[in-house]
This record gives sequence, C-alpha cells and structure tokens, in this order.
Amino acid sequence: MSTANVTLFDDEFLKKLEYLNIISKRLFAGQLRAERRTRKRGTGLEFADYRAYVAGDDFRHLDWKAYLRLNRLILKLFEEEEDLPIYFFVDSSQSMSYGNPSKLDYARRVCAALCYIGLANLDRVNVISFANGIKSEMPPQRGKGRIFKIFRFLMEITPGGETHARASFKTYCTETRRRGLAVVISDMFDGNGFESALDILRHVRHDIFVIHIASHEEIDPMLRGELQLVDSENNVSREITITPSLLAAYRAEFNKYCEAIESYCGKYQLGYARTVTDFPFEELVLKVFRQGRFLK
Amino acid sequence: MTFLALTAAQAGLLAATTVGIIIGLYLLKLRHRRVLISSSILWRRVLDERQSHSLWEKLRRIISIVIAATIALLIALSLARPEIESLTGKNERIVIVLDTSPTMNTNTSDGKTRWQHAAERAKSLLDSGGPTTEFRVLDTAEVTASAFTTDRNEVRKLIDTMSSKSAEPHFPRVDGRAAQVYFISDGVAIHSTPSFVKRISVFEPANNVGITAFEIRSVPSTPLGYEAYLEIQNFGQPTEAGLTLSGPGGQRIIKTVRLETEQTYKDVFDLSQFAEGGIRATVQAKDDAFPMDDVAFAYLPIKRKTRTLLVTKGNRYLETALKLDNYVELSVTEPASYRESPNIDTYIFDKFAPNAPPARPALIFGTPSAPWLKPAAGEIQKPEITTWSEDHPIMQYVSVHDVAIERAARIDADNLTVVAASKQTPLIVVSEKPKWVMLTFSLEASDFAFHVGFPVFIENVLAWFNRDQLALKRSPGIVDVPLANAQVQTIDGKTDASEQQLGKTIFLANEPGLFAGVRGDTRVHVAVNLANPTFSDVNRSIFKTDRTAARQQFWLRRELWFYMLLASAVLISIEWFTYHRRITL
Repeated sequence: MSTANVTLFDDEFLKKLEYLNIISKRLFAGQLRAERRTRKRGTGLEFADYRAYVAGDDFRHLDWKAYLRLNRLILKLFEEEEDLPIYFFVDSSQSMSYGNPSKLDYARRVCAALCYIGLANLDRVNVISFANGIKSEMPPQRGKGRIFKIFRFLMEITPGGETHARASFKTYCTETRRRGLAVVISDMFDGNGFESALDILRHVRHDIFVIHIASHEEIDPMLRGELQLVDSENNVSREITITPSLLAAYRAEFNKYCEAIESYCGKYQLGYARTVTDFPFEELVLKVFRQGRFLK
Repeated sequence: MTFLALTAAQAGLLAATTVGIIIGLYLLKLRHRRVLISSSILWRRVLDERQSHSLWEKLRRIISIVIAATIALLIALSLARPEIESLTGKNERIVIVLDTSPTMNTNTSDGKTRWQHAAERAKSLLDSGGPTTEFRVLDTAEVTASAFTTDRNEVRKLIDTMSSKSAEPHFPRVDGRAAQVYFISDGVAIHSTPSFVKRISVFEPANNVGITAFEIRSVPSTPLGYEAYLEIQNFGQPTEAGLTLSGPGGQRIIKTVRLETEQTYKDVFDLSQFAEGGIRATVQAKDDAFPMDDVAFAYLPIKRKTRTLLVTKGNRYLETALKLDNYVELSVTEPASYRESPNIDTYIFDKFAPNAPPARPALIFGTPSAPWLKPAAGEIQKPEITTWSEDHPIMQYVSVHDVAIERAARIDADNLTVVAASKQTPLIVVSEKPKWVMLTFSLEASDFAFHVGFPVFIENVLAWFNRDQLALKRSPGIVDVPLANAQVQTIDGKTDASEQQLGKTIFLANEPGLFAGVRGDTRVHVAVNLANPTFSDVNRSIFKTDRTAARQQFWLRRELWFYMLLASAVLISIEWFTYHRRITL
C-alpha cells in the first residue's frame, strides 16, 4: 500500500466511520437490521402461510394439529430471511483522477464509508471498479471484519481508460446476480451518455443510487488565455481561447448537464446526490442515509 | 494620397513589407498552453454550439489580424508623411499681410477696433490651413516680416505682439507665385494691391470728425504776431463738433460748429493772447470712432525783436535786408569801431572777424582771418552748389540751387556742420559751439542777396541763433529731428527713447504730440500730427464695393501622420482591451 493510500484510510478516517456508524444507528433505531424479510418462503422464524404437503417437503414443518383436525397433511410456510446485496460501482476511468483531492480518492472514501455501514448491517457488499468495462470486482463481503479487505481493494483501484458505463453494467448484469442496491459513484462523464447505463441497472430492477462527484476545477474552471485542452481519458485535444463569455457558457452547460442527470434520476425515482470533492464526505453519507436507500 | 517623405513606390513597398511581417509574426505566434482536463464532453458541446451559431466566432481571428496589420500599417505609413488634400489641404504657403495703417484703430460697433478684427481674421486664416501649410506674416508698416513656418502658435504670438502703426502704410513686396497672399485690411489707406492678393475686409462704416490741418503761422501784417489755422472735416453722419484750442498759460478758445457729411470747416484763430509754448487743438464729436485725428499740436514761439549789430565797411544789400526785417532791431558799425556789447543778441560780420569769438552768436560772410575761424586754404572759382541740407533750420524754405558764386574760399570743415557745399569746398558751414554760421563767399562775389530765399535765410539764421522756431511738422510713426545727439522730450518734459541715424535723432511717435529735440542750448520743436484727410476719411474703403475673400476650412489641423499614430494608439488600446477580455484572439 502506498503512502497516499495509507493517508486515505488513516485513523482519522476510521474514527469518522465509527462516528457514522453511531449516527446511523441513532437515525434508524428500532428498525430491523441485518435480517431483512423477503418474499421468498424459507427457513425463517416468522410464519407466512400454509400449503398442502407434497413429497419431499421437510416434514418438520408439518402442522400436526391441523392434520388431527382435518386429516390432511398441511405444511407451514415461513418467511425467508436473507441479507441485502449492495453493489458499489466505482468509476475508475482516467477522468476520476482529476481534481485535488482527486475524484477517485473522494469516491474511495465515500465507498468505504458506505461499505462499512453496509457491513455493519450484515448486508452483502460488492465493490466493482469500472471504466470501459469491469476493471476489477471484489467478491461479496459480509460482516464488519471485512472492511479492511474492502479498504485494500479500494486502494488497489487505479484510474485509467475511458468511461463506458453501459458496457460495464451490461457485462456485470448479464451474469446471474441477485437484485439489490446499486450505488454508482462516478463523475458521470460518459461520452455515450449515462442514461443508457443506468437503464441497464434499472431494467434488472436494482434499486439505484447515483453519487455524482465533481471537482471545483470542473464546476468553475480557473482557465485563462490561449489553451490547448486535452481530454484526460482519450487525449483528444482542442485549441481554445478562454473568454469570460465562454466560461459562463461552460458553467451553464455544466449545470445543464447535472440537471439532466438529476432529472433522469427523479423521473425513475433513483436516488441522486451530487457532491464536490472538498465537501465533507460524512455529510454526504448522512445525506444518503436520509434518503433511506440502505434501509428497505 | 501623396507622401511627403517617400515616393509612392517606396511607401507601397513599406506598406507591403509591414503587412507581410505582421502576418508572418501572427502565424508564428506562441503555441497554446496545454491543459489537461478531466473530460472534454462539456467543452465540446459549448464550443460546437458557439462556433456553429456565431458569425463573430468565425471572424474573431480574422479581425484580430486585421487590427494588428492596420496598426502596423498606420505606423509605417505615418513615417512617409502622407497627405490627403481633401482632409488636410495641400502643402501650401500662405502670406498674411496685415494692414497696420492708422485707420485700423477705428472703433467698430461691437467695441473692438478694426485692428482687433483683423487679428482675429488672421488667426482664423491660420486655422483654415492644412497641417503642412506654412504661414508668413507681414505688415504694411514694414516692421513685421516673419519667416515661413508651420508653427501656428508662433505665428499667433507674433500677431498678438503686432499693433496698428501710425506710419504711412505700404503694401509689402511679396511673391504671389510662391504663396497665396491674403491682405486683411479696412481698405482705407491702401487701395491698390497686386492682382494675386486676396483681400479680406474688416471694414465697417464709422462716424469721424477729424482735424485735417493745424499750424501756427506768422501774421504778415503784424510783426511778431501769430495765428493758428485749423481745418476739420466730418467724414460721418451730420453732427455738431466742439473745437478747443488751449495754450500753456491756460488760454483757451472754444467753439462749436455744425458739420454736414463731408463738410469741411476752416478757421483762423488769433493767438495774440497766448503765451509761448505748445498749443493743443482738439475736436469732440458724438460717436467719433477714430480718436487719433481728434487732437493736433503746434508750437508758439517767443515774440521779441532780435538786437543785431552789423559790422561792415559797407554792404548795401545786407544792410537793406536787415532793415526790412520786422523782427530785427539793427545797429551798424565799422570793423574798427567794433566793441562787444551785452545788449546785442546777434553779430553779423561782413568780411571781418574779431580776434576772439563773441559771446553771442555770429553770422559771418566771406572767410575773414581769425584764430577761432577755419583759415582759408586757397580760393575756388565759380563753385557750384551741389548739396545743401533742407532739414537744417537755417535752410528751411531756402532754395540755393541756382545761386551763382564767383569765388569762394577753400576751408577745412572738420568739426563743422556743412549745410551747403560745392564739390570743391563747403559754402555754408555751421558751428554749434560757439554758435556761428559762416558763408565762405562774400555777398559781392555772388547773387545770393538777389534771391528770394536770402531774407528767409537771414531770418532763419537769426531765429536759430536767438529765437524758438515754429515746430517742425511730422506725421506719426518714426520721426526724425534734424539735430544730432539730441535728447527727445515730450510736451510735459519727460525724456523719450531715441536713436541716432545719419546725423539725425530718430524717435517713435505712435500718436499725435508735441516733442522737442534738445541738445545744450539748442531746442528744435517737432509737432507730430495725423492731420491727413486720407487717414481721417475712415469710410473711404474699397470694400464698399469689393468682395471679401473667403477660404475653405479643413477638418484636420495637423499632418496626417499625427492622426495615423493617434489611430494606431487607439487601435492598440482597443486590441489590448479586447484581447485581455478574449473578445478578439
């Protein structure tokens, strides 16, 4: 682990995670944690329904009192209790290395925080790094003790490549996956459009939460004069003369772009939070809590 | 467009080279700074939208290079001193002749004088010239004659120092082929100018009653009696004029007369009640616009007979002439009986001279031998009078050009003033101190005694010896007094500045006045009066019928190169402003 990585998840960060954990418990006290009821019938403790016994059924769940009364074998059904799969899609394209601190570092911290919360709730946490495809994937993790493994995975993510979220999500979703909460942490700069990528997640009926990370340099660029702008992802350059009117037009375009993403998320009831890299990430995480995406 | 500093081909080459260099430099300008951004998606959208929709965006680069090339072109071509005739006028020379005659002091209805209007017209002429136009200013008094210059401020200052002069005006000699000549005048004193001269009028009709003649003269019928002759004329609307004659003793004559237009009033005033000294005549009339001719001066001399002792062995002509002189109280004696007497004002020695000079002035005929006189160094037969000084007081009104002389003594005239001479010898010499006049010929050896000028000559000599004379008449301007090394005094005794030129004392009198040239006991009065109907008739202008000249005004006041540099500076400022705000590239 590099020195930079050490500082990314240092003791202070861990203290913040503990603090977030306490805050989250206080926010959602009295609600179920770790064991989430599903529509599946299984081996849980809560009674759900009756049905006729068929060969092969576990006769331990036969209702003998009903047999004596009705002279038929009636099987008691119980609700299946299972954990929630949470998929953290972390954008690791080259554009995420932009800014100070970089958007990727910020994404790592946010992801780590949310992972910790998820692990503490005994949810099944998946972390996927993507750019123009699935770059790396961490097997599902469960339990707080796995947090350091997740840290290590996050630290090993390196920025690079163009963003192609639709292809990445499609690849991931074509594999058999359980439906769950998909948290997309990205700067949303995708030349093919992010809407089609989110459509993929939406079509497989994931509950989606989009965390849009931007840097100050992108929101209000401090550019002046004759410049050759080079795209960090594809190295395409363009000569340009920065004028105040051009900067104003860019800022308007940026706002328009963000509003378009937010509008899309609102239209399909997807969670959306936009943040800047110098915004305290713990406040962002709480914002995510308040939207309740981690608690179904 | 023409160029003053380069030929058209050189200017064209300069322009082409400059534009070429600018375009070359523009193409070689610094490369754009490379900046890494996270994504160009948004920038691409912004730029595509702006460039596809804005003609300005497409033209910005062209405009920038056009401005840069224009700036360089303006600077380069300004070195060639271009000239556009329609904007700046052509490269020409203008001579402004200002009429400084006395009538230019006439007041106009707006309270200014004609001269002030002329100065304003001259300055507006300066403004009408192009940037390269050269100006020269002359006057009709021949006092001011500047060199050609493009410096208008210098010419303006010169005009401010000029003023109307009292001198007789003359149109200066100018070359009409090399320059445009403008004559700014009221058209009164100078009526004719060369045909190439464009005349600009400052004439405005004015009322004026002026003294056209004033003099003191003897009364022929009354010995030692004097009278004043005064003539005034009305050159304006009919009016009443008040005349006043005043003398040093408080004597005063006042008279009021009614004068119609162009009417002349002449009068003679008896001065028997006036004391010796300056006499001042004034005329007052309502709305008089020309004050210079409203006053005139004369001098009333002493009135006493001269006690004269004629020392001669017998000279009938001389004795008769002196006896007939009403101003002379004559005594006659033989040379042997001569004794100097305190009761004698003047001695007349006929072919005789005492051993010592007399205490009083003496008129000496012939060239007698005496220690205090120049000795004769031979004799000249039939000398012809070739030169004589009419300016000397003893020669006033005396004509000697046809005086025949049989013989005259040859003398050395050192330290003497020669007032008449032949080619071989002085004929009439004057000594200032001791005061005497000597004729180097005797009356018997000439026909001078038969000439009408002889009694006048005797009278002049006696007057010069003992009496104040009538004042010499002069016009305002540069005045000469026929007295060398004299001091000029005004009527109130103040000393005036003077110069010495050719044995005369010169001083400047811009206005009428009574002056005196003083050297020792000698005193010569000078009455400076305008007294000239030519000047007093301030309405006798050619501009009553002639049209005044007009001149086209040009928009630009300086050479075109100045405005080109100014424009380039403005363009540089605009380019700097727009470039730093990225309006241009």
